[in-house]
Amino acid sequence: MQPALYVQNLHKTFRNGHNLKAVDGVSFEVNPGEIFSLLGPNGAGKTTTISMLSALLKPDNGATGVSDIRIMGKSLLAEPLAAKAMIGVVPQDIALYQDLTARENLVFWAKMYGLKGAQLKTRVAEVLELIGLTDRANDRISKYSGGMKRRVNIGVALLHQPSVIYMDEPTVGIDPQSRRSILDGVIALKNQGMTVLYTTHYMEEAQELSDRIAIMDHGKIIANDTHENLIRLVGQKTRISLSVNVEPETMIEPWRACNGVSTLVIEDTKINLLVDDSNIVLPRLFETAAAKNVRITSVEIQEPNLETVFLHLTGRALRDA
Amino acid sequence: MKPFDIAFKDLTRSFRSTFSLIFMFGIPLLVTGMFFLMFGNVKATNAISIPATKVVVVNLDKGNAQTGALGQTIVESLQDKQLSGLMEISLMTDAAEARKMVETGASGAAIIIPADFSDSFIDPNARGEIEFLQDPTLTIGPKIVQSVLNNLIDAYAGIKITTSEASKKVASGSMTSDQIGPLVQNYVAAIHASTAEDKLIQQHTPASAPQKNAAAALIGPIMAGMMIFFAFFTGVNTTSSILREDEEGTLPRLFTTPTSQSEILRGKFIAVGLTIVIQVAVLITSAWLLFGIQWGSLLPLILSSLCLVCSAGTFGILICSIMKNTKQSGIVFGGLLTVTGMLGMINIFTGNPQGSPLGIVPMLTPQGWVARSMLATMSGASLSSILPFILGSFGISLIFFLIGVWRFQKRYA
Ligand SMILES: Nc1ncnc2c1ncn2[C@@H]1O[C@H](COP(=O)(O)OP(=O)(O)O)[C@@H](O)[C@H]1O
Ligand SMILES: [Mg+2]
Repeated sequence: MQPALYVQNLHKTFRNGHNLKAVDGVSFEVNPGEIFSLLGPNGAGKTTTISMLSALLKPDNGATGVSDIRIMGKSLLAEPLAAKAMIGVVPQDIALYQDLTARENLVFWAKMYGLKGAQLKTRVAEVLELIGLTDRANDRISKYSGGMKRRVNIGVALLHQPSVIYMDEPTVGIDPQSRRSILDGVIALKNQGMTVLYTTHYMEEAQELSDRIAIMDHGKIIANDTHENLIRLVGQKTRISLSVNVEPETMIEPWRACNGVSTLVIEDTKINLLVDDSNIVLPRLFETAAAKNVRITSVEIQEPNLETVFLHLTGRALRDA
Repeated sequence: MKPFDIAFKDLTRSFRSTFSLIFMFGIPLLVTGMFFLMFGNVKATNAISIPATKVVVVNLDKGNAQTGALGQTIVESLQDKQLSGLMEISLMTDAAEARKMVETGASGAAIIIPADFSDSFIDPNARGEIEFLQDPTLTIGPKIVQSVLNNLIDAYAGIKITTSEASKKVASGSMTSDQIGPLVQNYVAAIHASTAEDKLIQQHTPASAPQKNAAAALIGPIMAGMMIFFAFFTGVNTTSSILREDEEGTLPRLFTTPTSQSEILRGKFIAVGLTIVIQVAVLITSAWLLFGIQWGSLLPLILSSLCLVCSAGTFGILICSIMKNTKQSGIVFGGLLTVTGMLGMINIFTGNPQGSPLGIVPMLTPQGWVARSMLATMSGASLSSILPFILGSFGISLIFFLIGVWRFQKRYA
């Protein structure tokens, strides 16, 4: 089966002052009808990857092998217009004309996607219905709430019924209700047979939506599999979250030295550890603390999740890596 | 037709922006309107009705048998009906009193004709100088009086030459002294005849000016200058929407659609051109309707306006292709456009629309070329005489356009 999106060996270095390798040899494939997530902390290189996949940035000529991007079999680098007609891009930041109404925006973008006449009218009406803004269609975007703007931002990418849609962090900075409706919308798109490339730094979203997840860090994909298989990477390890009655930093060294502790990071006031077997390691942690006259004020043992996977793979927390 | 869809979208946005509307139409019409009100009641006769200046005239001239009383003829000339709108003459007999009135500001100016005024025409020893005093706090009124007086004196200088020649002939015996009198009378009559034809003030207005109405003649160049200045402003403002869209993310989004870079740039450039076309057409029409400004004959006007559109548009494209981001637009609007606009139209701003106080300097700016052809068109110049400026302007525009397009293509390749 031909993949809906085929990405081979992408590199991008920003040469402004410090040579920052934002994307460092990224390759993956997305199957038709699949929701595929790029999960990674801020600065991981998700937007840079999406930009290359939408022909906004040219991939660097990697020293190792050729780069290739194919959308529904069409090469983005060789036939950009044909390949671009297959994709709908939802940018991370709202990209709409604030001084035009929602309808005027949709009509304009529909024309840019090559829609005309009756088809254009129908699609604009359908998309307005889909994003639930038919009765506000003649208000200017500048008068909309953040959530409404996000919905129009997504609607624009759906006008031409693309085979593949890219959504770059579409839920950042909106209220829980709008977020829920966007997530439901993404699932509805999948049910209609659309292929979705979704980026996020919220592991819950990746977990809920995705058929497969690529975990991205420092420009590289460090794991790429289904949610279940990713969790298996952590093995028998358990994530323990502890609070203490002193500065958490005090306990870094003593606990790292404990047998069975594989990773330790501090997140706000909590100390998160990855341990082999909590039944054996937990008593050791209490002993070590007692020896230092430190009292443990709370203990939380968690089922492994994507957060745990990221911790396991990078030794850092996903949230503020 | 994507370029036109893009252009239409840009036009809609421009004409929805209060900021754009103010700079495109508001300020040029407002500034011209202010000048129009200042010179508002300029009469169709070309007589400027600045409030009449109070002038006291003291005629001490005794006259003599040969020339008659020339002082009195000067007084009569000053009292001419034609001048009554400019000065309010009152006669006095006491020179000291007249000087005092000027000093105290009771009168704007004083003219004192000396006792030997007539004699000075036949007696080389008589000085006969007319004394002119003015209230130093006033400027324009007394200046007008003085210039009218100078015109009169210039005319009378001819009499002096005639009489001195005649005196020589009397001395050599080829003429008798009683023939001098009629000669002078004829001369004076001739001067009066010519002042009756309005010569005194009219000689300052160019005979070729097609303006029907004097206020329009004064503010026409101002309106043209404002229009050129702000058309260039529109050129940069509309082209910089490329940079603004880049920063706001809509340009990158356009590049993700199956729309080519050249279609996007073409759409942008069409929008720039059309916006300036609309601005210029609206300004020309409304200046004509509101202020009665005559723009000259149709074909030269259309060509000059096209020049303005191309020049302002391509200058905008060139400048924006060099600008890094819209944060630099302050420097461009406040600095570059203002400086080039001022230099290009220095002739208008210094009140010499025809002349050229800085010589070649205005022609170093694109505005200068457009201004030359537009002003020439307004003063009724023929197509062939403005052609060099039109061709020059189009040439400059072409160069700007090519550089700008090349830079934009490289930038968004
Ligand atoms: N235009 C750019 N110029 C220079 N550096 C950039 C640019 N865009 C992104 N970066 C850098 O590249 C890295 C990856 O950024 P990005 O792809 O936006 O990450 P993400 O979307 O995962 O948060 C970051 O360190 C960011 O600062
Ligand atoms: Mg991002």
